[in-house]
Amino acid sequence: MLSCSLQVAWKTMSKESRMKATINQKLTEMGERERLKELLRAKLTECGWKDQMKAHCKEVIKEKGLEHVTVEDLMVEITPKGRALVPDSVKKELLHRIRAFLAQHAT
Amino acid sequence: FQVNHPGDFSLSPIKPKLNVLSVMSPAGCSHVNGYKVDNWKQNLRVIYQCFVWSGTAETRRRKAKSCICHMCGAHLNRLHSCLYCVFFGCFTKKHIHEHAKNKRHNLAIDLLYGGIYCFVCQDYIYDKDMEQIAKEEQRKAWKLQGTPLLFLRIGEKYTTWEPTKRELELLRHNPKRRKITTNCTIGLRGLINLGNTCFMNCIVQALTHTPLLRDFFLSDRHKCEMQSNSCLVCEMSQLFQEFYSGHRSPHIPFRLLHLVWTHARHLAGYEQQDAHEFLIAALDVLHRHCKGDDNGKKANNPNHCNCIIDQIFTGGLQSDVTCQVCHGVSTTIDPFWDISLDLPGSSTPFWPLSPGGDGSTVNGESHLSGSTTLTDCLRRFTRPEHLGSSAKIKCGGCHSYQESTKQLTMKKLPIVACFHLKRFEHSAKLRRKITTYVSFPLELDMTPFMASSKESRMNGQYQQTVDVLNNDNKYSLFAVVNHQGTLESGHYTSFIRQHKDQWFKCDDAIITKASIKDVLDSEG
Repeated sequence: MLSCSLQVAWKTMSKESRMKATINQKLTEMGERERLKELLRAKLTECGWKDQMKAHCKEVIKEKGLEHVTVEDLMVEITPKGRALVPDSVKKELLHRIRAFLAQHAT
Repeated sequence: FQVNHPGDFSLSPIKPKLNVLSVMSPAGCSHVNGYKVDNWKQNLRVIYQCFVWSGTAETRRRKAKSCICHMCGAHLNRLHSCLYCVFFGCFTKKHIHEHAKNKRHNLAIDLLYGGIYCFVCQDYIYDKDMEQIAKEEQRKAWKLQGTPLLFLRIGEKYTTWEPTKRELELLRHNPKRRKITTNCTIGLRGLINLGNTCFMNCIVQALTHTPLLRDFFLSDRHKCEMQSNSCLVCEMSQLFQEFYSGHRSPHIPFRLLHLVWTHARHLAGYEQQDAHEFLIAALDVLHRHCKGDDNGKKANNPNHCNCIIDQIFTGGLQSDVTCQVCHGVSTTIDPFWDISLDLPGSSTPFWPLSPGGDGSTVNGESHLSGSTTLTDCLRRFTRPEHLGSSAKIKCGGCHSYQESTKQLTMKKLPIVACFHLKRFEHSAKLRRKITTYVSFPLELDMTPFMASSKESRMNGQYQQTVDVLNNDNKYSLFAVVNHQGTLESGHYTSFIRQHKDQWFKCDDAIITKASIKDVLDSEG
């Protein structure tokens, strides 16, 4: 079912990567991935994470100058901070949801 | 109490994107011209539908299977799709960049967010035509998804604000901007007492600090259909303008008072009134005057209004009457704006509470020296009550008059819940104020009092595992109205919450900072 190049890619992946890919497929197929994304968005807005990131972006833009800054610059600057600032409770909740979903749909 | 609802977009009066708009060329970059040939619009739509915002089960399945990097198989790493051919590649690992270079395909689309990347410009570009297609496809996919978690009850999915032409005009003509910081006190303003009008002032403070109501009025959503100048909703709108004007002198609400007297005759006059009565009367008048705001969805049924008052304050109270003989249940659901709770010490007996109801441990209130909690009052409110032999109900199942029990539960929770502690007793024998202290929490979980919880209890699931992750029935406190003194002569004040955890005491014209302890220790 996979095309030639995809089959090659699949073969070269580690076991862990293949497992990740399978889980992702399941989540996407059942629409759960979208729901989780929306849940995450809501949680991160609620706890003020989104506002913090926005403020940081503005700082970066001020530093680099509006004319010269690229999306890439912003990504590089805010990704580490963004990752670190996600509250543990949010991580826990998402994990709980994913686990529950996988348990429900175990094949 | 206001429910922790997601997407609480704090509507700061204006953060214009004018600067960004003037720099970005609306035509995007010139390199897209090579793409915009033949049937490009349809092709682009297909890409959005299949690989970015998959709305149907079929497209989701296809996306799940095929959206992996053609070089390394990963699905993460900011996957992009080439716009010119069927190729998916990681952005982070530069697989898509390699493809772009080798095949000279200079455009790719981000499968997570739908942004278009140009490899010549080396940045994401914003082409007006492509943006339009992206927006339409995203809307389509949302509609297909049904009701995802995030539809605000107002009926609109949360999107970032984009100014209309008219709004841009207004922004240009009014260049003054206000930045909302965490210790900014905008929205706080005292109210002059016009002669025993503290009962009105405390409610006004609570209403002006109800976030959804504030956002409704500050975004000018009221379209007035009343001919005269006596629309209370318009006056409310004006009131919000006064509160958020930045003026620090107390406001004199004489027009508001006059309108209230006009529309709620029973509250007219300068004697002391009941704050709770004022709240209900105010909500009622506002609800009646909101006729123009239905957005065309004219509900012929006056009980199913779509006005802002109903959307925020109206809940559904379920009443189940159970026949003691045939155990048939007759259910009715009535709308409510507030829950009036009896207190211990009144002439109607409070204790003991019947078993089968839970909740006292859920809300973590202090039971210091046996003080009554709000949850206790709610348990009493939702207990099954024997109606007695003198109040037999005609049972539809038995076709005769039988004894029955009645129980109240919450069918539908309002966004803002108002709890009224019945402190003023007006029975035939006496008129007095009950000053029993009732403790209340900062966060309240209404799950134990829901009709659905009662059903699962009846189905045998006694020990309900409290789902701490489910926020649907959780409320957070944002206003408390207090009365000091006696029935004949007293004074109303209120505590209101600003931002997440800053409390202020509103005593007519005087606003002072308050601690959470002050709030929780108050009578309520």
